[in-house]
Amino acid sequence: MKIFILLRTAITALRVNLLRSFLTMLGIIIGVSAVIIMVAMGAGAQQQVDEQIKSLGGNVFFVTGSFRSSGGARASSVVKINEDDANLIEKQVSGVEAAAPYLSANGQVVYGNLNWSTEIVGIDNRYFVVRDWDINSGREFSTQEINSGAKVAIIGERIKTELFGASEPIGQTVRVKNFNVTVVGVLSEKGQDARGEDQDDVILMPIKTVRNKITGIDSTNPKSVRFIQVSAYDGEDMDYIEEEMTLLLRQRMRIPVGSDDLFRIRNVSEMIATRAETMQVFNTLLAWVASVSLVVGGIGIMNIMLVSVTERTREIGLRMAVGAKPADILRQFLIESIVLCGLGGAIGVLIAYGFVYLGNNYGIGAGGVINTDVVLLSIGFSALIGIFFGYYPALKASRLEPIDALRYE
Amino acid sequence: MSQALIKVRQAKKVYQMGEEQVWALKGVDLDIQQGEFVAIMGSSGSGKSTMMNLLGCLDIASEGSISLDGVELSKLSKNELATIRNQRIGFVFQQFNLLPRTTALDNVTLPLLYSQVPESEWPARASSCLQKVGLGSRMDHHPSQLSGGQQQRVAIARALVNEPVMILADEPTGALDTQTGLEVMTLFQELNQQGKTIILVTHEPDIAQFASRKLIFRDGELVADEVNPSPKLASQMQL
Repeated sequence: MKIFILLRTAITALRVNLLRSFLTMLGIIIGVSAVIIMVAMGAGAQQQVDEQIKSLGGNVFFVTGSFRSSGGARASSVVKINEDDANLIEKQVSGVEAAAPYLSANGQVVYGNLNWSTEIVGIDNRYFVVRDWDINSGREFSTQEINSGAKVAIIGERIKTELFGASEPIGQTVRVKNFNVTVVGVLSEKGQDARGEDQDDVILMPIKTVRNKITGIDSTNPKSVRFIQVSAYDGEDMDYIEEEMTLLLRQRMRIPVGSDDLFRIRNVSEMIATRAETMQVFNTLLAWVASVSLVVGGIGIMNIMLVSVTERTREIGLRMAVGAKPADILRQFLIESIVLCGLGGAIGVLIAYGFVYLGNNYGIGAGGVINTDVVLLSIGFSALIGIFFGYYPALKASRLEPIDALRYE
Repeated sequence: MSQALIKVRQAKKVYQMGEEQVWALKGVDLDIQQGEFVAIMGSSGSGKSTMMNLLGCLDIASEGSISLDGVELSKLSKNELATIRNQRIGFVFQQFNLLPRTTALDNVTLPLLYSQVPESEWPARASSCLQKVGLGSRMDHHPSQLSGGQQQRVAIARALVNEPVMILADEPTGALDTQTGLEVMTLFQELNQQGKTIILVTHEPDIAQFASRKLIFRDGELVADEVNPSPKLASQMQL
């Protein structure tokens, strides 16, 4: 018998009990859509993490000062690291591409009658290397501007949009706190960071300018910074670099053996990756739970197919009387349950696509990335469930004796 | 007619009812020639239904032999029996046994699904059979839209579609009123005129009188085998 006729027979039979067929499919629909959504969410999170790591600029460490502990109790004073530490790390630790000092404060930037509250960041040109961040238009700071603490700024894309709109910002003067700075460059767009904050909402100035005019000079540590961002060359051993930096800073701060570090080194890519892994584990777990619901759906299909075989015993008897072989009957019922599962799987895929689409575009539900392999796998798997759970009822149908089946009331 | 279409020799059928063995057929000898119109009669429990199941290849004799066109049925597998049912026998049942929610045409096509006939010939074959039983204008109707007599005629068309050598009808008029029953019998007589062998199971003597031969079963034995040289014409008895 041709496959088309088998399919048509199956669909006719399923349409007879439309509601029942739909309810039977529901288990598969929910299972398939849940599996795809969970995997999509996992893949989406992974993609986000990859993007975040990429936007950080690859292999990056954050070096910050730490609390000075005295006699086991934490003192309130914080040891500040400074620009010299950055220079030393860059010079002495092999594998380090650049070490960029970083200072920041919140403040208003005013242009004309518009003002915008943003993050004011003090850096030098190494920052662009470490962050792997390009200047979209204009230029970096000159050495002279950095050394002298000139009143110049490079603005992020967000500030450009908010304050300048379509007009050209380069060469314009904006007011930051109580002084005027000249815009010399605009950063390329970077998007959100790991915490969902807009990285383009930033104004960069030479570190000396920010220290002198905004944060103020720490008299005990005049070149102090908030943190140093260190980037390693690709393929370098990050653990080795971390160790080297620790040794160097301990030596420099004259920390005796056995005492705690007065600084912290954090490998950010690793932190994000670890968090992503946790999420991945969670998502995998959910996907497994969802597959269990697929199996439960399969049992539902088996149940209904058994009912269907009993209900249609006379039909089976008639088909046998007019010449259907046991194999024909087996095929008929098997195809019916495969169609039931395959259709359920297809509907499940559509629902998953809809759900993820809503999540990605309207923030309803959860966004993610749908993997075609997973989609094909789930449809294949649900058809397999159809075969597995449909086989026994179909076998039962094919083993009926024609006379018994014909006489069945 | 030297070679009988059906040869039954000492056919016995035993059913196991719990501990007890029940002999539904106790050794039947019987020949049916090509082109005969045979009525099998008997009360319930007489063995007539068992005989019909054996002749229809729906069941296998416990002992003895039954051959159809020289083929010994007891040696055949399930699949081979299915092929014989498909190719050589057309069934008509008391309750019509049509597939509900399926058009008359598709119902008639059903046996073709299990045959070797190429799919391209199906519609023509099925519709010509429906025309033969006078339902050419109702091919798209579902069984629920047809009267009992029309449903039985669809069933007869279905029985004819694979051009079988014989038609086995099990109480074909049992669910019909007298008038409609006569119409169906007329159809059978016409088919018999055209050369089809017809075996009819019934308990109504009125219906049996349209056959050219009457076999009477009682307690699992063939007790009478009467030839009716001038069977009544069902077409002349219609009101």
